[in-house]
Amino acid sequence: MDAASPIPGARFVDPSVLARIGNLELVSKSLVDGFINGLHKAPFFGSSVDFAEHRGYVPGDDVRRIDWKVYARTERFYVKEYEADSNMNFSVLLDMSKSMDFGTRGITKFDYARFLTACLTNLVHRQRDRVGLVAFDSDIVEHVPPSAKHMEVVLHTLEKLTPSRPGKLGPPLKKLAEFFGRRGLLVVISDFYEEPDAVAEAIFPLRFRGNDIIVFHVMDPSELDFSFPDASSFEDLESGVQMPIVPEGLRDEYRALVQAHTQALQKRFAANRVDYAVLDTSKPLDFALFSYLNMRERLMRTR
Amino acid sequence: MSLLAPLFLVGLAGLAVPVYIHLIQREKKRVIQFPSLMFLARIPYQSVRRRRIHNWLLLLLRLAAIALVVLAFARPYLARPQRTVTGTGAREVVILLDHSYSMGYGDRWPKARAAAKAVAASLSVSDRASLVLVDGNAEVAVRSTEDKARLLAAIDKAEVSAGGTRYAPGLKVAGTILGESSLPRLEATLISDFQRVGWIGSDAVELPATATLTPVSVDAPATTPNAGVAAVSLERATFENQERVIVTASIANVGAAPLAGLDVALEIGGRAVQTLKTDVAPGAAASVTFQPVTVTGPNMRGSVRLPADALARDNVRHFVVSPLTAVSVVVVDRAPGSPASSLYLTRAAAIGERPSFASVLRAPDAVSEDDLRHASVVVVNDVAISSGLGTRLRTFVERGGGLLVIAGPRTAWSGGGDLLPASIGGTSDHTRGDAARLGAVEYGHPMFEAFRAARSGDFTAAQFFGYRMLTATADSRVLARFDAGAPALVEHTVGKGRVLLWASSVDLEWNDLALKPVFLPFVHGALKHLAAYAVPPPYLTVGQVLDPGQLAGEISEPVALTPSGSRVPLSGSLAQVLTVAEQGFYEVRGARAPGAASVIAANVDVSESALESIDPKALVAAATSTSGSARVEQAGLPLSPEAQERGQRLWWLLLAAGLAVFGAETILANRLSKA
Repeated sequence: MDAASPIPGARFVDPSVLARIGNLELVSKSLVDGFINGLHKAPFFGSSVDFAEHRGYVPGDDVRRIDWKVYARTERFYVKEYEADSNMNFSVLLDMSKSMDFGTRGITKFDYARFLTACLTNLVHRQRDRVGLVAFDSDIVEHVPPSAKHMEVVLHTLEKLTPSRPGKLGPPLKKLAEFFGRRGLLVVISDFYEEPDAVAEAIFPLRFRGNDIIVFHVMDPSELDFSFPDASSFEDLESGVQMPIVPEGLRDEYRALVQAHTQALQKRFAANRVDYAVLDTSKPLDFALFSYLNMRERLMRTR
Repeated sequence: MSLLAPLFLVGLAGLAVPVYIHLIQREKKRVIQFPSLMFLARIPYQSVRRRRIHNWLLLLLRLAAIALVVLAFARPYLARPQRTVTGTGAREVVILLDHSYSMGYGDRWPKARAAAKAVAASLSVSDRASLVLVDGNAEVAVRSTEDKARLLAAIDKAEVSAGGTRYAPGLKVAGTILGESSLPRLEATLISDFQRVGWIGSDAVELPATATLTPVSVDAPATTPNAGVAAVSLERATFENQERVIVTASIANVGAAPLAGLDVALEIGGRAVQTLKTDVAPGAAASVTFQPVTVTGPNMRGSVRLPADALARDNVRHFVVSPLTAVSVVVVDRAPGSPASSLYLTRAAAIGERPSFASVLRAPDAVSEDDLRHASVVVVNDVAISSGLGTRLRTFVERGGGLLVIAGPRTAWSGGGDLLPASIGGTSDHTRGDAARLGAVEYGHPMFEAFRAARSGDFTAAQFFGYRMLTATADSRVLARFDAGAPALVEHTVGKGRVLLWASSVDLEWNDLALKPVFLPFVHGALKHLAAYAVPPPYLTVGQVLDPGQLAGEISEPVALTPSGSRVPLSGSLAQVLTVAEQGFYEVRGARAPGAASVIAANVDVSESALESIDPKALVAAATSTSGSARVEQAGLPLSPEAQERGQRLWWLLLAAGLAVFGAETILANRLSKA
């Protein structure tokens, strides 16, 4: 399905169509393949195999990595080191709280986040980076440590996840801050139903440990525009509290509050060089990937 | 605003139902699951308030509908003050004066007259007044006059009649007079004892919308003893060739006190012949049977009389009894002296008692003028009739006689023109094969009256081995047919008489009908029908109409003599329909003949003896209810709440409004649920 996009010629797929495919590996593969084909001239392509430097051979190094041409000229053993060899830890921190299990356009926020996770994992894995996954609600539910071999495990774990409990960012991310001591790239996917300060307080420790952080704020379109027609009782997915609401009466106020919330988040993240993007589940997934890579490029340039 | 049935307001508790439903409904509203109410919770309660306002209209509609229906059931009415003056201007006044014979009880009639005079005295110069005398009928004594003296004279002249009470005719006449009036104020005054028997609820009476009806009751408690002769029945008996009659009278006590040793006298020809004593409990009736009385001659007058009491008219009951006369039948047969073919017919006729039949046999050539003059019925039994006899028979029938022609194998008819109702054709022979049977019989005809009820005689049992083929004339009526469809019995009228033609024999030559049980009543029915025999009733009731033609018979210039002595011509240009209006004996006689040809006893309607009265307000409400705005105007008789409510009928409007609101509620609720 073609959709209006900032990238001419790019083929974007409606998330609701992906939701019908179901198989995460297939979804991520087809999306990432198309994406890479479309962007093969991107400047960061192959950056992981770029030559970095030579260093002297030390016992224990793989003899296959000795640069025999240098040895022919110098009669010393040097080992080639590539940029790619300094593999990056990539982990997705996926919010699987009950509030993510909401969707009005054929796909829930959690499914959307799951596809996004699978695609990113696939993309990163192709770049030979180590991939990992943390699923959390009010506590850590699943933890796949970053590894070059963990792509299948991540996808398999993603398949199993079902949102069932209320979520809270603080406790699980605090634990994770201890774990992600080594610099890496962390992608946080959540709907951030917490006060901006609480969100910042939960995420910034990760940032302060030296991780690069990209934050995807996943929202259903109805959460953004509040387009419910009837006066109804609204039930909080997590707490079960009900409230009689006439949507048309408070739509404007609601939108203003949501906008203020995202702006507050944006402001706090920007101040700490955390990339932040609001993803609407009606937008094609490729669009999110492009956002990611765009940021990634910027990160690399500034590194 | 007042309520006729305020207890129905308890139904207003039903108003709680829609309120409760609305509260319940709110809880049952559709639930939308939403990720978080974090933002929504910051805008508290405004939405709830708005939604309540939104549904208020529906709730109000429901409450209004229920309230309207409940209010309709409570029968509200606007209690209007009793006005004593209806505007200004000249009045059209109709005085309805009840002069039925119950008004003769006690001092009712003087009081009624005084009340009528009081109304007349209240008339101003420009007012017009009518006097309508009401009993079973309404008689306009004075119509719309400004002459007060004439009105007072008419009131003075009015007397208690022998009639019963019926208010409807008088009110209709009053409605007509008021409706035709051009005066601004229309008033009717009903002066009566308001007997219950005089008002039937179904009487449709409507006064003009602006008219007022004022009841003036002269009813007084019936305390004095009052007995009446409710009925007289006559049983005939024959003793030593003398016809006697046993008179039984039913004595009713409509008073409040028991009557002991009441003298009941039987008068014959104006003289008391027997007196018996009887006791009657209040509200009951006793039967008194007198010794048999010999019927000495025609038109014997009799009366059963009680002693005088407060209501005199019902104390006597007259009757007229005449000796029964046999129906004279002349049977024309082929063989006098050997009555073979007429055997069954004459034997059957001889058995008759009421009437009895006196039959004589004559050969065709032996029928004399004297025979025909005295005969009521002539039976021509299977003989050939010459033209001379045929002509004489025709004259006989035209005069009013009856002719029965039995068409057997020897019947031939050569004279009399179209006297017969059918032409007699050849013979249909059924001696071989199946016998013919009677099929369709007109059981509705008077001569088959005895067979009208179910299983009252089976004509199909008789077998017919031969019959004459009849072709009915256009004006005749086929009363019975054979199973093949051929006419079996045909009738038509000639002049004043009737002719019956039977297509088979009445002996055993062609059929076995004479052996069947139906034969006797069949013959009696035919002869009675042809003789136009009817038992005269012993008396008539005031209000019935006499048939002048039947009364006068063959009298020239008949006149009727009423009990009061006036003469009413029954023929010629002055002929009047004679309505029985007086109690006593009516005589019908020739204008120049000395003796009475016939006498009719006239008695009052016994139901008028019952003096129970109805509430005048109820009658007034019924007479004025349909007009809606008509109302009673009577200082002593305020209009009852029921009558006021009935006149206004607000409940109907409220109910209609309630239903309309329910309809609106349905539409609104549908729209809301679809939105």
